[in-house]
Amino acid sequence: MVEGKERLPREVVAMRVAKELPDGGFVNLGLGIPTLVSNFIPEGGVVFYHSESGVLNCGPLAEEEEQDIDLINAGGQFLQRVPGMAFFSTVDGFAMIRGGHVDVTVLGAHQVSATGDLANWMLPERGVGNIGGAMDLAAGAKQVIVAMEHTDRQDGAKIVQECTYPITGKGCVSLIVTDLAVMQPTPDGLVLREVAPGWTMEEVQELTAATLIPAPDLKEYEL
Amino acid sequence: MPQKLDELTMALRAASELRQGQVVAVGSGLPAKIAEILPAQAPVQLLSDGGALGYGPSQPDAGAGVCGPDGRPVALESGGSVVGMVDWAAMLRGGHVDVAVVQPARVTPSGDLLGWTTAATPGLFAPGRTVDLAAGGGTVIAMLPHTGSDGSANIVAESSPVADGRSCVNLIITDIAVIRVENGALVLEEVAPGWSYDEVAALTGAPLTPADDLKEISPDLEALKTARHSKVFPDGPSAIGDMPDGATVMIDGFGGPGGMAHYLLVTLRDQGTRGLTIISNTIGIARIVNFGTPAGKLAIDHSVIVDNGQVVKAIASYPVSPSMSRPSSFELAYRRGEVELELVPQGTLAERLRAGGAGIYAFYTPTGAGTLIAEGKESRVIDGKEYILEHGLKADYCLIRGHKADTLGNVVYKGTSRNFNAVMAPSAAITVVEVDEVVEPGELDPELIVTPGVYVDRIVIRPEAFSAYE
Repeated sequence: MVEGKERLPREVVAMRVAKELPDGGFVNLGLGIPTLVSNFIPEGGVVFYHSESGVLNCGPLAEEEEQDIDLINAGGQFLQRVPGMAFFSTVDGFAMIRGGHVDVTVLGAHQVSATGDLANWMLPERGVGNIGGAMDLAAGAKQVIVAMEHTDRQDGAKIVQECTYPITGKGCVSLIVTDLAVMQPTPDGLVLREVAPGWTMEEVQELTAATLIPAPDLKEYEL
Repeated sequence: MPQKLDELTMALRAASELRQGQVVAVGSGLPAKIAEILPAQAPVQLLSDGGALGYGPSQPDAGAGVCGPDGRPVALESGGSVVGMVDWAAMLRGGHVDVAVVQPARVTPSGDLLGWTTAATPGLFAPGRTVDLAAGGGTVIAMLPHTGSDGSANIVAESSPVADGRSCVNLIITDIAVIRVENGALVLEEVAPGWSYDEVAALTGAPLTPADDLKEISPDLEALKTARHSKVFPDGPSAIGDMPDGATVMIDGFGGPGGMAHYLLVTLRDQGTRGLTIISNTIGIARIVNFGTPAGKLAIDHSVIVDNGQVVKAIASYPVSPSMSRPSSFELAYRRGEVELELVPQGTLAERLRAGGAGIYAFYTPTGAGTLIAEGKESRVIDGKEYILEHGLKADYCLIRGHKADTLGNVVYKGTSRNFNAVMAPSAAITVVEVDEVVEPGELDPELIVTPGVYVDRIVIRPEAFSAYE
């Protein structure tokens, strides 16, 4: 039975994603678990963060007393001013994305399909949604990693054979990291690469609406 | 044969066409001489593809790192700025240049412009910058010697299949005549001192009609002896009070409270202009996201005009609150069916704005291919990847948030508040910038000017006591 079985905390998911970031790479982090990834860059590693608000080399968030309304990230949070920061217009910010200058983006998702379709901009029941930078990131970043909870709060599957929500990009996701597993969408289907400690492939499959194909070297979640 | 005009007199005659506030793109050769004869601090700005907007005479030791169109180093005048090639071309194509002055090899009665290479070397087409100048610059003035060194006419009846521009020349200034191009015919308006109509017509390879008031060429720079106009307006109401109901207005916005022209937003609310289409990234979510808002206050954002019933449509990328349970004013109005929404991916929105301001009608982007956004749009596969066709965006007004401006409208921004503001500035018929401080031309480092004054029409100083929260 998978019901009530303990899943990995969000921080561990973020830590697992951090391992994927290339040293010295340019990275764009979405909201939610993706934002946490910046806390887990391996010691000595350097990653340059890009934000759609028009800044490269985003540093940590600002303390309340040093908040500057002209210095925000894409989520509207206040940033610290750090050496090496560069400001630019939104045209340049998205040229970086579409032009293939952003190495990795980490995004949350409502649904991801077995072949890497991403749906993360609209919940149909709301009838209206925010695209923001998601479609450009999906279309332009060299690598799209999804970091999210494996299911919704009612254990409904978010990893599906075909997306039923409006998609953000087709076949764009190269890796899915959840609180249960690490999976790789491929044109042939969804390859299960790692499972959380204490979980079996069968248990993960119960919570996944796409058929999992075990990788030849399927292993336990590696941090 | 009477004497012909020298190059500097021709340049003086060309400069006589210029008027207060104009941006004048100049090509190489004779047009480059205009910089040599303009009065210092003349109220026009010359644009060179050598990277300079607002420059003066050539100086071997100018040291500004920018050149006139003939490659000679020039110094920037106060209020001038350094522009890259993309910006130079965008200014031309986007309709921001009032006059272009070029030296072609030949001109025809229909106003076709034949470059040196097209005239001299059939089969070799090397348009260089002339094609951009011919296509982009409002009024096009052609400056050229009336005849070649062999005495043959440079004004010819026949065009060429590879003309650099078609039907683009409005005025021809030669070393013996000033000729207006009118509905495919040439009207001789002025002759050099001592020259007659017959003498000029004999050296012209196309029919030439004398004007009723045929005059002698006499350069007149009176219009350029006025001081440069300041673009500073006394307050918000005087700067946007002429906005009509039904206008399309660009206003920046992200999740944070910065980057928006708060004072102009409140001005717009107070003047009550209705039926507005707003082009923006968000359409008022800073108030909901609420970062940094002092207790008991609300961030000023687009919600102030949405709540006031002034908005009928938004073109936006992030129109609603990130939280479904805390809807923004716009989402509530949307659910009530009071406003329309055109949802655009953020990078596509930025590029559509850029295209609109740069005279690019449409472009292919991979963003949104295969999604709802692609529905009803042309798509095509290029090199194995799918792209969709998106169109440039323009507006009647643009309310941007700068940090500092000089009186000519050159703007610098602060931090991330540059983001959409700098993109929107070139894309509206009337661009109004709200700044913290206005300085004199020359006080902003020309290397650091982000939005050159060519894109800015009006400047308003945000009142010192004005807060981004209310």
